[in-house]
Amino acid sequence: MDLSGAPYGSLGTLSGPSITIQELKKDRISFILTETDLSVANSLRRVMIAEVPTIAIDMVEIETNTTVLADEFIAHRLGMIPIDSTDVERIKYTRDCTCSQYCSECSVELTLHVKCTEDRTKIVTSKDLVSNNPQFQPVVEDKNDQGILIVKLRKGHELKLKCIAKKGVAKEHAKWSPVSGVAFEYDPYNKLRHTHYWIEEDAGKEWPVSGNAKLEAEPNPDAPFDYNAKPDRFYIETETVGSLKPEDVVSMGMKTLLDKLGYVQMQLKEELASHQQDQTGWSY
Amino acid sequence: MNAPERFELFVLPDGRKKVSMTPDTKLLNAATFMIEREDHTLGNMLRMQLLKDPRVLFAGYKVPHPLEHNFMVRIQTIPGCSPGVALGDAVTELIQEIGALKNKLELDVIRQRAFEEAKASQGGGLGGDEGGMDGGVGMHRVVDMDF
Repeated sequence: MDLSGAPYGSLGTLSGPSITIQELKKDRISFILTETDLSVANSLRRVMIAEVPTIAIDMVEIETNTTVLADEFIAHRLGMIPIDSTDVERIKYTRDCTCSQYCSECSVELTLHVKCTEDRTKIVTSKDLVSNNPQFQPVVEDKNDQGILIVKLRKGHELKLKCIAKKGVAKEHAKWSPVSGVAFEYDPYNKLRHTHYWIEEDAGKEWPVSGNAKLEAEPNPDAPFDYNAKPDRFYIETETVGSLKPEDVVSMGMKTLLDKLGYVQMQLKEELASHQQDQTGWSY
Repeated sequence: MNAPERFELFVLPDGRKKVSMTPDTKLLNAATFMIEREDHTLGNMLRMQLLKDPRVLFAGYKVPHPLEHNFMVRIQTIPGCSPGVALGDAVTELIQEIGALKNKLELDVIRQRAFEEAKASQGGGLGGDEGGMDGGVGMHRVVDMDF
């Protein structure tokens, strides 16, 4: 058994994991993760998509709906509207709340009442939603943004409803996802041969390298295959839906991972202690 | 009608343990851990971290059934160590690694924001609509040297 091999663990490596931001815009971030494992990078990607909490409309009570769209159709559209979740940490999950159904500590109430009285078509947008909590408003991009179209009204049509927005994660429903997409790439030149290209004639012509290839040295085509090589540069780019800042999505994603690991660690200690008690002499 | 509740994916049912260990009946220093309400996100990361540990002879994980929200990690270690210790160490290493990444990210975000702001304020200055932006331009120079 060789125990003197490569240093074990992240702290044994020379520099440890690092992150370099390539671009940071209002709704997108692109960064490079280095000196970390593929599994860590992939977990970060998974957690950003599905486990960063946000606020989204979860219940709709419709009082009047004389529009052309059915109640459930409108309810579904409302659910997808991104709501500014910068202060999501101040809101509890409804299931963890002490209230019986929902309250201001675990939900946000948004109301909408629009009636068309003119001959012109009236549009109902996310801007018509009135929130009872100024911290949680439907997302507006800028001054010129007319909001997200919910339904169009003809003369005499009316829509009156109350929405309950709750905290949740995209594991439960994709409407809670803070991102519209995460681009994840490593090894743009396919040096590791993790990808097998389907080709007609020439892989080089039919599969042009991605933009990330500019950030890596072009490999020598005659170089022998390094079967020990492991991926260690990960190019990640994500675009948000507007509910959270892109950098917050990444850092909240990491926080979610840390919370999960911390909880497992705590519970593992308990489990090991309980085993130690009923089986003295055996150490696990 | 008989659809499972969506929250079953992440809410631990009452009385269920998050982590439970079953020692192997035939091998010493081997055990299977069942981790409830977690998926490949944690499973794959833990397995890879365990495999980096020279004391670990075997580490593997599986999600036994797609409708049951748990995964199993099986660990065998060398004598003198134990699967529980190895798993605990793997978790600690990952916490340190991700914690370090998180700190680096937050520092880099501050730098990047300052850079973008400086660039934006310089752009405004060039347009000539904002007078007295000396401070902004000066800041840009400082930042520029950093990058």
